[in-house]
Amino acid sequence: MHSYIRPRQFVAIQLPSDQIRITKIVPNTIVQLGKYGSFAANQVLGRPFHLTFELLDAPEPDGYRLRVVSATELHAETLIEEAEGEEGEADDALPTRTNQNIVDDGSAQKLTVQEIEELKKEAGGAGKEIIARILESHSGIDQKTAFSLAKYTLRKRKKFIRRFSIVPLDVSTLAHYLMTERDAAKTMELRDEHIGLLGCLANVHHGGNLPVNESNKPNGRYFVVDETGGLVVAAMAERMGILYPPDEEDEDQDEDQDELPIEEPSGTDQDGQAKAKPQPRRASPRAMSATGNSITVVHAYSQPNLTLLKYFGYDVSNPDESHPLFTHLKTVSWLQLVDPLSDPIYANKPESRSAEEVASLKTNKRTIYYHKIARWERVKSVTDEARAGGFDGLVVATLLEPPGVLKTLVPLLAGSASVSVYSPYIEPLVDLVDLYSTARRTSFIYQKRDIEAETPEGEEPDLSVLFEEFKVDPTLLLPPSLQTTRVRAWQVLPGRTHPLMSARGGAEGYLFHASRVIPTKENIRAAGTFRKKRKLESTSTPNNERDVVMRT
Amino acid sequence: MPSPFLNPGATSSADNVALLYVRRDQSIPTILRTYDDENQGYKEGKVVNTRFGSFPHSTLINQPWGSQIVASKVDTGSRGRAPKNAPKRKAQELEEPSGTTTGTGEEKPELKKPEAAASGFLHLMYPTPESWTLALPHRTQIVYTHDSSYILHRMRVRPGSTIIEAGAGSGSFTHASVRAVFNGYPVDEPATKKQRLGKVCSFEFHQPRAERIREEVTQHGLDGLVEVTHRDVYENGFLLGEPKSGRSPKANAIFLDLPAPWLALKHLVRKPADGSESPLDPETTVHLCTFSPCLEQAQKTIRIMRQLSWVNISMVEANNHRIEVKRERIGLDAEGVRGANVHPKSVDEAVNKLRWDEERTKLTRAARIDANGGERDEDDEEADQKPTGKVHIEPFLPRPTDPAYKLGRLIHHSEPDLKQHTSYLVFAILPRDWTEEDEQKCRQQWPSDKIEKEPKPGKSKKQIKRDLASQKMKEAKERRTAKRAAAAASATEAPADATQTTENVEEDTEMKTDA
Repeated sequence: MHSYIRPRQFVAIQLPSDQIRITKIVPNTIVQLGKYGSFAANQVLGRPFHLTFELLDAPEPDGYRLRVVSATELHAETLIEEAEGEEGEADDALPTRTNQNIVDDGSAQKLTVQEIEELKKEAGGAGKEIIARILESHSGIDQKTAFSLAKYTLRKRKKFIRRFSIVPLDVSTLAHYLMTERDAAKTMELRDEHIGLLGCLANVHHGGNLPVNESNKPNGRYFVVDETGGLVVAAMAERMGILYPPDEEDEDQDEDQDELPIEEPSGTDQDGQAKAKPQPRRASPRAMSATGNSITVVHAYSQPNLTLLKYFGYDVSNPDESHPLFTHLKTVSWLQLVDPLSDPIYANKPESRSAEEVASLKTNKRTIYYHKIARWERVKSVTDEARAGGFDGLVVATLLEPPGVLKTLVPLLAGSASVSVYSPYIEPLVDLVDLYSTARRTSFIYQKRDIEAETPEGEEPDLSVLFEEFKVDPTLLLPPSLQTTRVRAWQVLPGRTHPLMSARGGAEGYLFHASRVIPTKENIRAAGTFRKKRKLESTSTPNNERDVVMRT
Repeated sequence: MPSPFLNPGATSSADNVALLYVRRDQSIPTILRTYDDENQGYKEGKVVNTRFGSFPHSTLINQPWGSQIVASKVDTGSRGRAPKNAPKRKAQELEEPSGTTTGTGEEKPELKKPEAAASGFLHLMYPTPESWTLALPHRTQIVYTHDSSYILHRMRVRPGSTIIEAGAGSGSFTHASVRAVFNGYPVDEPATKKQRLGKVCSFEFHQPRAERIREEVTQHGLDGLVEVTHRDVYENGFLLGEPKSGRSPKANAIFLDLPAPWLALKHLVRKPADGSESPLDPETTVHLCTFSPCLEQAQKTIRIMRQLSWVNISMVEANNHRIEVKRERIGLDAEGVRGANVHPKSVDEAVNKLRWDEERTKLTRAARIDANGGERDEDDEEADQKPTGKVHIEPFLPRPTDPAYKLGRLIHHSEPDLKQHTSYLVFAILPRDWTEEDEQKCRQQWPSDKIEKEPKPGKSKKQIKRDLASQKMKEAKERRTAKRAAAAASATEAPADATQTTENVEEDTEMKTDA
């Protein structure tokens, strides 16, 4: 995975200004870097990621115009500083420069804007010359303190140096890009640290390679409710090893990828059933057919919004059959999940026709017929599987109200499975935690018991009144907890170590976490703390007695 | 045997680890046994005792995960005195000093059937790296979930990756990372080249701790996924097996939780100075993270990283806090409610209460006068008004009708003990080695100066297939309608048409990268 830059792959380009560009590296084209220039895609294809390239002024004889900047060169300044620092630590006696005499009125820089523009056109050295000249012609450069000089140099370098590096486009990079360069609200301001924690808390991981049979239930089935355009789905898929198309690591020819894939999913994952009954009709796998290691996305509109998956080579509306998500990503709408019989696709089974009938159809009608059958089968199997439950985890980042989501999906989780809910704001989650409070749980149990006692033997008790009051079944999750994380970045330079001066504000982001439990049917009382509580109450009785006496 | 951490299955089973959830932040890890492996001497076999009751393992085995388990009546008092047990234990010790655990099980195959207790319960949970982190026996300072989740995510540790971990410590990070790399158990048949199985290579320089981790790995069914090596990595590096000549783990990611990570860095290079094999994966970028509580450690580490050509060096700290949610109840009607603040909740209630107090004072005075033998003075009138001695107003505003769980204001606050700082995390990247030879090979494959005038958008596989299909259909149609002459024309028309549609589709999917 991601060992070198492949053709037609989305990559992220890091620019000196700390900006990120996402672009597809298409062979024989030019990639534009805005004010920093451009380079030919062929000159980076096949090369490793994370190298720093510098744009050369004069191409090599074969037209190559890049230079790989070594790490030593990248760190040159700091390394020199550190070496100097080690030699003369006792320089403290020297008067340190201060900003006492600096007047910042814009006159210090002797180069005019026009002159700098000229320089940009003429000067070579990938911008290093320009930076040198600008520093040279700053009249107050010798007055600057080491700190401000470093800052000044850095600022100029970010503006003029023509370097870039190419990094793989993965979830982490994409999240960073969406946060800084795009509308962060569209991804619910989901920060990288919360993405990591969200998946961990829900215990999302690869299902493994155990065979699926009667004694082994399929492993690694997760519910995801994602209103971030697919970022959460991508993150979970990454954790489960189904986000990136398998790459031909050993055979270097990327050209022959046009060949039909050789049943990828059955080989890699625990698709015991698919393996046992190979599809006689076609070699290609059926959409959403994986038994395990799968994500089931529940969506609010008739189609899920998972557009961000395109960066990973998967277009939901026109899926690539060789992509692991083709079989492992399942989608089901809330309507299909809650009330499948009202769903037009689920409820209307296409008439099955005999082979002769099908053969007599016109070609396009026949295609439509097959398409309809396939769609119905797919919807039916995904919906039935989802409604059957037994899922291993639930990950939620939604605009819907959390209680409704949990009320529907928590009962479909296997015992001990984890739930994690992300919200950019705390209020919805505070309400959610309260819905699972101990007081509510106790009251729910008693009221449920009363209703059950009232219903005649053998009948299903009607609990709808109960859910009107409680919204969720508070006995199904333990222990509801809430947390938030923020990563603070530091600058570490010789003698200048401190946290970065500014960071992104906005929504703080919170995570709710709890585990699915199965309450016992028996009437039981809590022990331990119960006794202690009574003791506490008994100490307060004299007070009450006095009150009683006084009142009467 | 699949690991309960990774593939717990539907129910608990004997000889597997389980977590007994007692209450928030208190879980008891235990290995479920059908026999009394710790020689506890209970009639019910192995028993876990908690302040919420006793739980014989026979009530915990083969139960669906997540089940609420009712406590049992276990005679915890008499087992020491039991005449049956004491000599047997002693005799056994004499016979076999090592005291094998299976012995007891065989001798006493029939266990008493547990009887449900009147109160007390716990929940039977399968372990996850998170719950394990909270429940594990601490041997060292551990890496908490908010750190480990970020570290693994940021180091791009994914199914199929190989990660080096040093030192293993209490095994908290070990469990988190094995879940991250897991993509299947090693099988006997040689794995296909295409799929690399994820692996954790764990190093620990403290012999007893290394042994303990090794035991845990086996108990938790992680054999083959975690390889524990007892090693001082500063001196002897990261090769598996023999220190200088062993196998390379070919790691994609390295996590160093060591007091002096900079001393280990010299081994983590592409070409070690001593000529031994590099422990790094030659095919991929390598991600490194060091975990140091002190700033000086991090600074020193970063200095060495720069010298050893690591790039994208960055230091962060992850701050995490848990938030508690509760209902704050203020009001005079909250008398006797636990945690409530008995104080007027509003000006109205305060005024009401003052009125009530005043009235009550008058009454008391009147009563006292009564008691004193009917000596009446200025209080006469009032006493006459209320002969029953009852106050007509309540001290508080009307009692709310809502159930208790809805009363009060819903509030949240940080947990009482904040973890302000765990450690500084230093991340760095080491790209693949790139030689002049590699570069020349690449240039041959991708000629530097080959640039198409009109950049032709690439076709996806699906698109190519579709184009082919549409072309074929078109051809067939043409063949049917027109005769031989028309067939020749379709060959020139169709491809042009196909490329046009491709361009349209590609335009939509292509990214707009304008900043």
